[in-house]
Amino acid sequence: MSVFVLAGTRKGLFLLESDDERRDWSLSGPFLTGWSVFHAVVDPRDGTIHAATNNEVYGATTHRSTNRGETWQRAGELGLPEDTGLTLEKTWHIEPGRPGQDGRLWLGGAPGVLFRTDDGGENWEPVDGIVRHETRERWLPGAGGMCCHSIALDPDEPQRMYVGISAAGVFRTEDGGETWTPANQGTAADFLPDPFPELGQCVHKLLVHPARPDRLWQQNHCGVYRSDDRGEHWERLEGNGLPSGFGFPLALDHRDPDVAFVIPEEGAQNRVTCDGRLGVYRTHDGGASWSLLTSGLPEPAWGAVMREGFSSDRLDSAGIYFGAQSGSLFVSPDTGETWIEAASQLPPILSVEAAEWR
Amino acid sequence: MAVVLLPSMLAAEAGGASRFEPDAGTVGEALRALPVANLVFDERGDLRPLVNVYVDGIDVREGDGLETTLEGSETIRLVAAIAGG
Repeated sequence: MSVFVLAGTRKGLFLLESDDERRDWSLSGPFLTGWSVFHAVVDPRDGTIHAATNNEVYGATTHRSTNRGETWQRAGELGLPEDTGLTLEKTWHIEPGRPGQDGRLWLGGAPGVLFRTDDGGENWEPVDGIVRHETRERWLPGAGGMCCHSIALDPDEPQRMYVGISAAGVFRTEDGGETWTPANQGTAADFLPDPFPELGQCVHKLLVHPARPDRLWQQNHCGVYRSDDRGEHWERLEGNGLPSGFGFPLALDHRDPDVAFVIPEEGAQNRVTCDGRLGVYRTHDGGASWSLLTSGLPEPAWGAVMREGFSSDRLDSAGIYFGAQSGSLFVSPDTGETWIEAASQLPPILSVEAAEWR
Repeated sequence: MAVVLLPSMLAAEAGGASRFEPDAGTVGEALRALPVANLVFDERGDLRPLVNVYVDGIDVREGDGLETTLEGSETIRLVAAIAGG
């Protein structure tokens, strides 16, 4: 079996391939030359690569490839209705739909917008429940714009899903995307007059655990959090081994809902990895404690890993992957114990996703 | 017919073709007939601000813009303004 990693960069998409040992990697690309690939993912239903692509001159769009990058098709219809007063600024994240929903995918973008396609990415329809959300005037852009960067589907409940928007917070739908409720209780927004508002939090990454879908994990501007009730309440988790609550990326182990990985940074005013090293922190106990993983990672280092730059695979011994702004891509074939630099000198890496093509 | 010449990135998005001869009476009509029209224009139909359009070497923004009429012998060149890093 081959394992693949899609590395979206500021200058195109790269593809890495290995066997299930995940120790030796071959590199191909770049694909999508000229595009900044904010996120790329393989749709497990049909093997199509989907990419959220942006260019300073030609705007924001999506591309897809049904032949592993050999040829690409660009989205046709993708934009926001004129009466909203909004125009599409960036595409950020593509989430494949559920098994049985052929052709359906979700796309998050800036300014805090969500789209849905039912034709495999040719035409994208704005999701009014987010685009016209009644609280939108209270949303604020983060440093990266007002981006809808996280889209998480509950694998068991077909009408439930979540989005994370910076800085609007986490929203949950129970009706397939028609209506959305803020789900931020217990998450801090230290930059606002009310540090625990209903919404306005700067969520940096949100994930649902696939084996325990009521459990959500969140890396926020103001802390690392876990929720065990679908985002109704959040528990703050740092101060027990984590050097900082600030960071962007987040990864999970698909086998164990108590395991999570973060790569903290010094803070909002100094966005480099903590303590002069490129360290991954792992919890085995739901965030009660965290331990530092450094074997094979560079030190000293003052790195940065973007919010989409962290991923895990679905093999029995979960592989963990992250790409740094330095252009290095690191792989751990043993769930974080040891790390291999699988590629270096790539353009700044924006996104990493693991995939299997059988 | 007027000729439209695309820069390399747009040509890649057009399947590799860098030269088009659309049947058009104005510059705007010619650009909207391109297979990369949704990269040249935003969702409001406005020319993206960093896309420069030259008709026989003259920036259309200095004249009638997209309403510039075509006689049929012109060369329209799209050039990406320098931006980003």
